[in-house]
Amino acid sequence: MPTPFLFHFAQAHNEFRLPELSSICELHGIPFSLSKNPQSNDPNRPFMVIELENEEQARILAKRCILIKAIYEFYGQGSTYEELHEENRKSEPLWRKYVENTSFRFLITAYQHKIPQSRQRDVMESFAYMGFLGKIDMKNPEITLTCFEDYEERTGVTRVKHEGDGDFRQVFFGRLIVDGSARALIGKFDVKKRVYYGNTSMESEISLIMANQTLAAPGKFIYDPFMGTGSMAYPTAHFGAFIFGSDIDGRQMRGKQKEPGVLRAAKQYGVASRIIDLSTFDITHNPLRCGEMFDAIVTDPPYGVRAGAKRLGRKKSLPDYKKELTRQHNLNGRPDDQPYIPPTKPYELSHLARDLVLLSRYLLKPGGRLVFFLPTVTDEYEEVDIHTMLCEGMEVIANSLQDFGSWGRRLVTIRKVTKEKYPPPTFEPAPNDQDTHIPAHKDFREKYFQGFRSSKSESVEPEGQEQDSGSDAQQ
Amino acid sequence: MVRLITHNVLACHAKNCNTNNFPLQFKDVKVEHREAEFNADFLKGFLPKLEWKALVDTAKELGDTSLPDEQPEMLDDEFLQNLHHVLLEIHVEEGSMTCPNCGHVYPIFNGIPNMLLAEHEIG
Repeated sequence: MPTPFLFHFAQAHNEFRLPELSSICELHGIPFSLSKNPQSNDPNRPFMVIELENEEQARILAKRCILIKAIYEFYGQGSTYEELHEENRKSEPLWRKYVENTSFRFLITAYQHKIPQSRQRDVMESFAYMGFLGKIDMKNPEITLTCFEDYEERTGVTRVKHEGDGDFRQVFFGRLIVDGSARALIGKFDVKKRVYYGNTSMESEISLIMANQTLAAPGKFIYDPFMGTGSMAYPTAHFGAFIFGSDIDGRQMRGKQKEPGVLRAAKQYGVASRIIDLSTFDITHNPLRCGEMFDAIVTDPPYGVRAGAKRLGRKKSLPDYKKELTRQHNLNGRPDDQPYIPPTKPYELSHLARDLVLLSRYLLKPGGRLVFFLPTVTDEYEEVDIHTMLCEGMEVIANSLQDFGSWGRRLVTIRKVTKEKYPPPTFEPAPNDQDTHIPAHKDFREKYFQGFRSSKSESVEPEGQEQDSGSDAQQ
Repeated sequence: MVRLITHNVLACHAKNCNTNNFPLQFKDVKVEHREAEFNADFLKGFLPKLEWKALVDTAKELGDTSLPDEQPEMLDDEFLQNLHHVLLEIHVEEGSMTCPNCGHVYPIFNGIPNMLLAEHEIG
């Protein structure tokens, strides 16, 4: 029978809460449904009431979801204490068994507010009708009952102490089932404590959420095509998956010591044996012999602010006679030659995103997921931007914004919904690029360095010029 | 690294090198053996992706003869253990891989193969 549970979420990355929850529910086959009450089904509030089948499922979720602080057996809620007590009385069958002889602790707390001690005592006494006879034990109680008052966001406003006390949106009451233990992983994977990282390494909390979006689990095979310093690999491997990583620039994966940096960091986390292999190649010229190999592809593509994406080739390709010269030189190299480093050219973000989806459709098993970050200009973003990069057989299942003000990045999760086999992508630019919708993430690098000044209407026409001036600057 | 599972999915991808471009030939290799986690489901799931003959031949070159020439239909525990060892526990740390067709040499340094193509090898 579906039972309501009170979820207390960490007040961070609101848009990521439900996608993460539904991913972990899918991974463990847990059916869930949100409350019908608009006061307890808003994913922007820290407290939500969600129905599960049993307590065991709540424990599974709290062990794996990074954004869950704790889960409670739900006894009641209300916009006033009268409403709360009325619901709580109806929940008596749930708490009656603790009345007789169970040691307990009673906590009254609030979100965005501090309740004065005197009122805390009043609130506690208003629950006297429950008639708990067990010992009060603040240190090691058998059960913890918690009452949460949820106040409106009031950050940045000066106010007198305790102003607006009791003026909460909603009050919730329940019995603690389990504290969210996955949040401790944020500290474990802290980039600052990692033995090897780079200036574009992904912060640990987000990389853990991404790992959850991939449904990482033992026996799964997961690929990162822009491996870099491996930020995505460690949490994913921590959850049991095997990882294959590639990058066009091997130096990122290697670091300066003999033992590759990615492996050293993986050892630190005890997951080195799950890093199946690392390889230097350009995804647009990749050596993978077959498709449908991976359960998920997870990556943070370089978008050009601190590091730009590159692909093999030259902006202006060489005349044939020069190509022939390089070929001859390669064939008849002298033993003291430095290792050959092929030329690269910039890989524009909207092309990269579209290619990544096509490549994923080829490399993923049916039902597999592509999880990646896409930067975007906040004012210009439109829902349709995401759809410009989709192709047949690939469907967006989550799209959550991490807002940095004038720009933001979207964590996009795409599922391969087709069983059909597709050929490997050609990585050619799409035909008639001009007619199609121009997504806000196109030429993100240029827009970033211009401070996102050009408004949408202006940017459409001088697009060509912008690009020209951009490439001139780089030559 | 460069485990045989990876070697088995890498083919030469230089321009116009489309036939006889697999398997790449190991040369001057330095091999290490490292224990890996056994996961029967992973092995069974990956089996249909493998080019069996290439795997058996490469394993033999590196001194492991535990795999049968024909992929067996019954996947008993002993077979899976051997497959696990061949696919995941043999690491080629140094050396190179050469394309049997065009002769491109893909070098391996500190366990990471460089699969980049030269300018004249891309389209």
